[in-house]
Amino acid sequence: MEFILKILSDSLYFTGPILLCTLGGLFAYKAGVINIGLDGMMLFGGFMAALVIFFTGSWVLGFIAAIVLAILLGLLFSYFGVTKKANFIITGFAINLLSIAVGKYALALLGSTDINVINSVVRARSTIDVWLLRDIPILSDIFNNQSFLTYFSFILIFIVSIVLYKTKFGTYVRVAGENEESAESVGINVNKIKYLAIILGSILCAFAGYNVAINQLASYTPDITAGTGFIAIAAIYCGQGSPKASAIYAIIFGLSRSLALNLALKIGSIAGLLEIIPYVMIVVVLTVVAIIRERKTLYRGFLHE
Amino acid sequence: MNKWKAKLSSQANKAMSAIIPVLFAFGIGAIAIILAKENPLSTYYILISKSLFNIKGLLKTLHYAAPLILSGLAIGVSFKAGLFNMGIEGQIVSSGFVIAILGYKLAFLPAGVLIPILLLSGVLVGMLVALIPALLKAKYNVNEMVVTLLLNYAIVAVLEFLTSNVFRDPSSGYVSTNMIGSNAILSRIGDTKLTLFFFIAIIVFMIMYFVFNRSKLGFEITAMGKNRSFAESTGMETQKKTIYIMLISGALAGLAGAGWMMGEKFAYTLSFSGTPGLGWDGMLIALLGGHSPIGILIASIFYAVLKTGSSSVAIYSNVPAEIILLLQATIILLLSIRFVKKKSHKQAEKQIEKIINKEVV
Repeated sequence: MEFILKILSDSLYFTGPILLCTLGGLFAYKAGVINIGLDGMMLFGGFMAALVIFFTGSWVLGFIAAIVLAILLGLLFSYFGVTKKANFIITGFAINLLSIAVGKYALALLGSTDINVINSVVRARSTIDVWLLRDIPILSDIFNNQSFLTYFSFILIFIVSIVLYKTKFGTYVRVAGENEESAESVGINVNKIKYLAIILGSILCAFAGYNVAINQLASYTPDITAGTGFIAIAAIYCGQGSPKASAIYAIIFGLSRSLALNLALKIGSIAGLLEIIPYVMIVVVLTVVAIIRERKTLYRGFLHE
Repeated sequence: MNKWKAKLSSQANKAMSAIIPVLFAFGIGAIAIILAKENPLSTYYILISKSLFNIKGLLKTLHYAAPLILSGLAIGVSFKAGLFNMGIEGQIVSSGFVIAILGYKLAFLPAGVLIPILLLSGVLVGMLVALIPALLKAKYNVNEMVVTLLLNYAIVAVLEFLTSNVFRDPSSGYVSTNMIGSNAILSRIGDTKLTLFFFIAIIVFMIMYFVFNRSKLGFEITAMGKNRSFAESTGMETQKKTIYIMLISGALAGLAGAGWMMGEKFAYTLSFSGTPGLGWDGMLIALLGGHSPIGILIASIFYAVLKTGSSSVAIYSNVPAEIILLLQATIILLLSIRFVKKKSHKQAEKQIEKIINKEVV
C-alpha cells in the first residue's frame, strides 16, 4: 500500500515538469510552429536559475533570471523561425544542443560536475503543506507536500484551455496556426502572435527547468531534463493539441516514469524499459490517427493532402 | 561563357552560405574562450593546426571523418528529398550494438569471412530500424520527423537495458558489452589510426556522388525535395521512393555504426556514439555541405578537424574540450537560416532584360 502511494505521489512529482513543457509547447503548436527546443529551453531555465542562486543565494533572483533568459531564448527562436523563416525544426534542435553545450562548458570552467544549490535552497521549504489535505489519510500521502510549481502545473491545464478557447489571444493563436493567410487578411499580426506563443512556451519550459533543478534536485547537471521536452512533444502530438487530452498523456507519461524508477528498486533495471512508453505510444497514436484520417478522406472521396 | 559564370557564382553562393555561419560561430566561440581567460586566435590555431597541419594529426582526422562522412550522407540523402530522417542516431547505435554482439559471438570465423558479414549486418540493422518510420510515412503519411526523433530515445533506453543486463561483460568495471573478437577488428594501417573503414567510407561517398548527380534516383530525390506533390503528379511513385530513400539513409547510418564499432570502439558502451552523438554530427555536416556529396565530404573533414582538435585544445590551453559543442550548436543554429539570398525574381528579370536589349542593339 505504502509502495503504491509512493508511486502515485512520485507520478505527480514527475508529471509537474512534463505538464509545464507540454502546456508551454501547446501554444507554439497551436500557432503552427513545432518547437523541438522545449527540452533545451527547460535545461537553460534550470541552468540559469541554479547559476544565479549559486552565486547570489537568492531563489527570487534565480527565478527571475531564468524567466529573463527564457524570454531571450523565445525571441531568438522566434527571430530565426518566424522572422527569418528558418527551418524551425533545426533551430529548435540547435537550441537543445546549445543548452547542453553551454551547461557543459560552464561546468568545465567552474571545474565541477554540477551546480549545487542545496545550501541556498532548503529543500523542505520548496514543498507546500496544504492544510486542506493534511489530515485526509490517503489523499494527503499522494497530493500533499509537492512543490508550488507542481500544483501550479495542474492548475495551468485549465488556465491554458481557457486562454486558448475563451480569449481573443487564444483565438488569434489558433487562427494563426490554422490558416496564416486568412488570419492576416482579417488584420491579425501573425508574426506577433507567433512570437508571443513561442515566448510564453519558453517561459513555461523555464518553470519546468526551475522545478527540477531547484525544487526537486537542488542541483544542476546537463542531464536533469532526461528528455522531458521530448516527452512533452509526444504528449502534445498524442493529445492532438488539445490542452486537456495532452495533459492526460502528460500524466500517463509521468506515471510511467514514476513506475520505471520505483519498480527499478524492486525488479531491477528491466523497469527502465517503462521509460520508452511515451516514445512507443506516440508512434502508435500518430499511426492510429493517420489511419482514421485516411479512412475519413477516402470515405469522402478525397485523397489526402 | 555566361553559363559557366552562373555556375561559378552559384557555387560561390553555396560556399558562402556555409562559410558565413562558421565564421559567426567562431566569433561567438571567441567570447567563450575569453571567458576561459585564453586568447581566441591562439586557441583556434591549436584547434586547427594539431589536426590538420601535421601528417599524423591529419591521418587521425581522416580516421574520425569516416563515420561522419557516412552519417552526413545518411542525413543528406533524406533531407534533400524533403524527408526528415532524424533517426540516424538511433540507427547508428542500434547497428553498433548488434555488431558488438555478433562480433563477440561469431569471433571463431576467420577475418576474411567475419568482417564482410559484420559490415553487411550493420547495413541491414540500419535499414530495419529505418523501415518503421519509412512504412508509416509511405502508407499513412505519419510525420516521419516526430517519429524518428522520438524513437531515438526509445532505442537508447532499450540498448541501455540490454547492455547493463543481458549482454553485460561481467569482468568489465563499467557498463559495457564484451569486446568483439580480434578477427572482427579492422586493423590499423601502419602506425596510423586509419583503417579500412575510411576507404569504405570514401567508396560509399563515390557511389553516392554518382547516385546524386548521375542517376535517375538522384534526380527524383531532388524533385521530391523541391515539390513533392508536383513530383507525384508527373508520375513519380513517391510512396515507393520514400521507402527507398529512408532505407538508403538507414543503410548508410548502419554502416557508420558498424565501422565505428569495428574500427574504433570494439565494445558497446553507453557512450558509444559520444556527445551529442555521431548522428547529430551528421546533421551539422549535411547542413553545412548543403546536402551535396562533395559538400558533405568537405564538411565532414572540416568537422573532424575541429573534433580531433578540441582534445588538443584541452591539453595545450585552459579552454575545455567542450568548446566543440558550443561551436557545433551555434553553427547548426545559424545554418537553419539562409544568409546568402538567392537572386530575387526582380533581379533576374532585370538581367534578362539587359541581355535581350543587348541582343536587339
